Amino acid sequence: MTTFAPAIDNRRVKLLGLDFGSTTCSAMVAEACVTTNSVTGRMEFSEPIVIFRSAPVFTPFINHAIDAAAVAKLISGWLAQSGLALDDVSGVPAIFAGGAIITGLAAQKQNAAALIGQIRQWVGETVIATAQDPCLESWLAFMGSCSALSRYHTEIPLLNFDIGGGTTNVALGLQGDVLATGCYFIGARHFQFVPGLYQLTAISDYGLSLLDELGINKRVGDSLDTIECEQIMLYYCRALEAIVLGERQFFATAVARQHEQVALSSRPELSVAKLTFSGGVGELLYRHISGEALPSTTFYGDFGIDLAVAIANSPLLSADLANYVPENLGRATVYGLTLHSTEISGTTLFLPRSECLPLRDLPIVSKLSMQASQAQWLAALELAKKREQGACIQILSDSAEKADLKQIRLLGQHIAQALTASQYSGSQPLVILIEANVGQALGNYATNWTKSGHNLVVIDEVPIRNAHFVNIGCMHQQIVPISFFGLH
Amino acid sequence: MMKPLLPLDEIKLPEPQAPQTYRINLHDRSFTFRDLKHVLGAADISKAGDRKAGLAAETEVMREAARAVVSNMTLQHLFDQPLTTAQGHIDSVMRVNYDIDHAVFADIASLTLGELKDDLLRANGERIRQVGSALTGVMVAALTKLLDTHELIFLAKKLKRGAASRARTVVGLPNTLSSRLQPNHPTDNLSGLTLLIYAGLSTGSGDALVGLNPAIDTVANISATLHHLDQVRKDTGAPTQICVLSHIKTQLACLEEGAPVEIMFQSLAGTERTLTDEFDVTVELLDHAYHTMLERGALAEVAENFMYFETGQGSEFSYGKHEGIDMATTEALCYGLARRYKPFMVNNVTGFIGPETHLDNHEMIYSCLQDHFMGKMLGLPMGMAPCYTLHSQITLEGQQMATELLTAAGANFFMDVYLGTDRMLAYFDTSGHDDQTLREIYDLKPAPEFLEWAILRGIFEWGADGEVKRGINWGNPRIFCQSDSEFQRLQESVPAIYGFENAGPRPANRVSRNMKSNQAIGREAIYAELRPAEISGIALRELHTAAISKNEHLSDPSLGCRLDEAELLQLSPELYDVQILISDGLSAEAIHHNIPDLLPVLLDGLAGHDLSCGQPILAHYGRVKLAEAVGEALRPKVVITLIGERPGGDALASRSMSAYLAYRLPDAATQKAAAEFSGNKAIEYEYTVISNIYSGGLPPIEGGSVIVGKVRAMLHHKAAGNRLENLLQQKLMA
Repeated sequence: MTTFAPAIDNRRVKLLGLDFGSTTCSAMVAEACVTTNSVTGRMEFSEPIVIFRSAPVFTPFINHAIDAAAVAKLISGWLAQSGLALDDVSGVPAIFAGGAIITGLAAQKQNAAALIGQIRQWVGETVIATAQDPCLESWLAFMGSCSALSRYHTEIPLLNFDIGGGTTNVALGLQGDVLATGCYFIGARHFQFVPGLYQLTAISDYGLSLLDELGINKRVGDSLDTIECEQIMLYYCRALEAIVLGERQFFATAVARQHEQVALSSRPELSVAKLTFSGGVGELLYRHISGEALPSTTFYGDFGIDLAVAIANSPLLSADLANYVPENLGRATVYGLTLHSTEISGTTLFLPRSECLPLRDLPIVSKLSMQASQAQWLAALELAKKREQGACIQILSDSAEKADLKQIRLLGQHIAQALTASQYSGSQPLVILIEANVGQALGNYATNWTKSGHNLVVIDEVPIRNAHFVNIGCMHQQIVPISFFGLH
Repeated sequence: MMKPLLPLDEIKLPEPQAPQTYRINLHDRSFTFRDLKHVLGAADISKAGDRKAGLAAETEVMREAARAVVSNMTLQHLFDQPLTTAQGHIDSVMRVNYDIDHAVFADIASLTLGELKDDLLRANGERIRQVGSALTGVMVAALTKLLDTHELIFLAKKLKRGAASRARTVVGLPNTLSSRLQPNHPTDNLSGLTLLIYAGLSTGSGDALVGLNPAIDTVANISATLHHLDQVRKDTGAPTQICVLSHIKTQLACLEEGAPVEIMFQSLAGTERTLTDEFDVTVELLDHAYHTMLERGALAEVAENFMYFETGQGSEFSYGKHEGIDMATTEALCYGLARRYKPFMVNNVTGFIGPETHLDNHEMIYSCLQDHFMGKMLGLPMGMAPCYTLHSQITLEGQQMATELLTAAGANFFMDVYLGTDRMLAYFDTSGHDDQTLREIYDLKPAPEFLEWAILRGIFEWGADGEVKRGINWGNPRIFCQSDSEFQRLQESVPAIYGFENAGPRPANRVSRNMKSNQAIGREAIYAELRPAEISGIALRELHTAAISKNEHLSDPSLGCRLDEAELLQLSPELYDVQILISDGLSAEAIHHNIPDLLPVLLDGLAGHDLSCGQPILAHYGRVKLAEAVGEALRPKVVITLIGERPGGDALASRSMSAYLAYRLPDAATQKAAAEFSGNKAIEYEYTVISNIYSGGLPPIEGGSVIVGKVRAMLHHKAAGNRLENLLQQKLMA
């Protein structure tokens, strides 16, 4: 495999990913070129190279509260190790875009606020921190592990299980797009042990319920015997198999319902999907099936090794392991954060007032079709008006449908008339996102070639994502970075 | 030990003579040729470039008369009659051509060309090569005019032994056919280059060179791509050498910075004016590059040869700097120059320029055979790249016939452009599949060092009778990737791939059909006539250029820069802000596909900004510079020329249009600023270009809007092109 040469020009940008979970946290810094793909014609991050990846370390807590000083030390240490240059003006690293995700215990209200504060202080505003967004995490894990593999096998849906300490994030994808996501409280660290033994040192609430369900009367300080361990692993594997098979009845019991945070919706592609695994357990699993010796009993003080072996022993779960090997494995989520959490606009966006960027936490107040009526636009703008800092409207289009001139002129006319009728403030930012490459033309028709004076931004060539919020970053070389959050 | 270069002032030259007239009677008809240049031109087959230069024979009898004159000339006569410039000087290229073996020449000087030809046909390879060392390019060109197809192949074949050159691999040994892998990508995308290299290596190509024509000729980019090619070479373990074919000065700068310049490339020309004015190279600079590589080149320790030259009949003519010399002779003069540096490779790309030099298959094939023979005769390790553009009448089949004949003649190497479609230069060349097919037909192998590696990688295997067969991994670039994901990412970075499925040494039929149908769309786009009824519902003024037919338009670019004289007289200054000019250029289909959406948006936008606009013009058979003719006639502030781009091999991209926004410099102060910025004191127009307007690039609706924005910026800042971009950048920074 050939790796690529380091930065040669100013088209290359730095991207950062930070992943804070209940158990561990990690960081990654990548460098990529912002270029037009000569096949698709779209702007993209190309030739990415990971210039820094931290070892996963335990997330610092003091009695379930995040240890802000230790977090500060961690982040500053990662930044120093990555060699990122600091911006002369802001004093934070010159990062083009990136994402930070905060999950589990770290995402509890006070902890999330403390972490977000630390992230902003150390890496600035370009990295978007998101707390407790399980479907986003599933999406990121799929993109970080299976994106290219899924595009390689164009006809085959892939179902990826990203299994970490606390959760299993599931995503079903086809041709590089995620079709459905789910999240389950199945993970390695619901039971924690003295390393080398099965003597319990901690049990999560989910673990306690499961012990009750399985009739295992053990608590912290006790040791699980072989049969009890197998019972637990069998339960976890059955749960994973039920997800694969779409067996909703498995999750009918109270304990199973408790383990299901977001159910993976049933789709026809599920029945023919090939399975892949990522996350810490996924990494152990692929090491195991490649013949590599696994660490000794409960080496990590949890069920990670056992779960990997149990999955390998399940004919259903292990059927595709040899033929469909994803990338990044244990680092899938942070890789996804680093390289896939940000979309890039087209180069011909409509942005008469570039000084209005960045725009943070814009609610996506409406999703309208290309054929939406003026009344629908008026209704959408009435909603948008309520948020003075700005709001966003997505225009949905059938990808097979080519935007024709008549349609764009009419759409522009509807927007222009709705802006006037709603008495939309000239200073209030309104962002329109559209997939087709027509941003500048639509913006011009919607503002009578900028004469209306509205603070309209039309960003094109942005794939539609099912999200509640969006962030728009500052302009860089004719493009802007866009990140979605609040996925559903 | 390499022989030192003979100092230029020590090369023995004859005194230039006054031009001599040649007369001959043939079958009761008398012919007079004004001078030696006209004899040599008339003695060749008729080719487009020579016809336009007034050198080709008008009839077959006249051609034979010229050949009779040549047959009766002695070598000494040719020695004494150097072809000079219009001022009667011997230029530096001609001077180098006289760096010959004078002892050998003394033995043959009294032979006529006819006698020399007969002697050579009776001689063995060693003797032919010895004679070649005593000939100038002009002498070899003259001899070539007397050779038919069989003779060109027969003599060249005898020169295969002894035509090899050595760097990391030895290229050109008997019973071998090598290839230069050309992984060109429209944006020099490193992933794209990597995949194309993997694809080539997997078909057993690239033993002569992995050589990239860069899209961006800067020291930073060339250094980065050199380092990358070097890394790929090391990672795959392929024994070959690398080169990025940028200007020689750029490569020298890269070498200074420590980049792995293994082979030094430069395009050559057969006249000094072309070499210096157009290629920005002198013989002194070539000498400097040679000495630098000898001392400090990345392969200085192992290579006996390290220079790489490209040539092709017609470049001197197409620049109008051929000094009245025919295309084959100027080509031979290139070889006489190349010989000075004992290059590792010389690659001939006859056919690349287009129909202004070689109109059809016949002209291209014969020129290729001439060039291969002439190069070999002058002692060069000749590789061949018979190629074509879609605006000539050369076809894939004609190009393939050329490669069959050139393989029979013993060409050292061909090119490997994946599926024959160059994704950066928009022309068509030989492919790795072609190279392997020819190796199998003619029982040839790649260079021995490379073969050994390829057998280890399963690309080739030994057959039961000691023959080399395709191995299990032949044609499968996936073998160089660690994962399906990596392979997928590489595939997503290269346009016009069409697939890696093979049938024997050929691409699978599905792949070939896909490639050919895309090419057919491109060809159709060029030869289609403008259909005004399909263009727009908006009334257009229809005008014509000086070209009266499609063929005339394609074969003489200057005609499309002028308006028809009668129509020009009808035009008078209208003094609008903007004049829109639509023309087919090299793709009428680009106009048909884009104007219906673009023009209404453009007119809406100009009106929206209160800019006045003359009635749009539709001009048949136009070129970009037609904007200036229209600008002078109608005197708008800006001429927007919407014109079809030269199609390559991708059907969708064959519908690509460009907008050239020509800003007429309105006053002395603006003209002064533009002159200072450009270094052109006489500058009258500045241009901003918006390219790739088509549904797969910048869609026409968006394109119209983008053009409006740019015109407003031009009028506001009174500038266009890079000067405008600099002003906009300064504004942004402020």
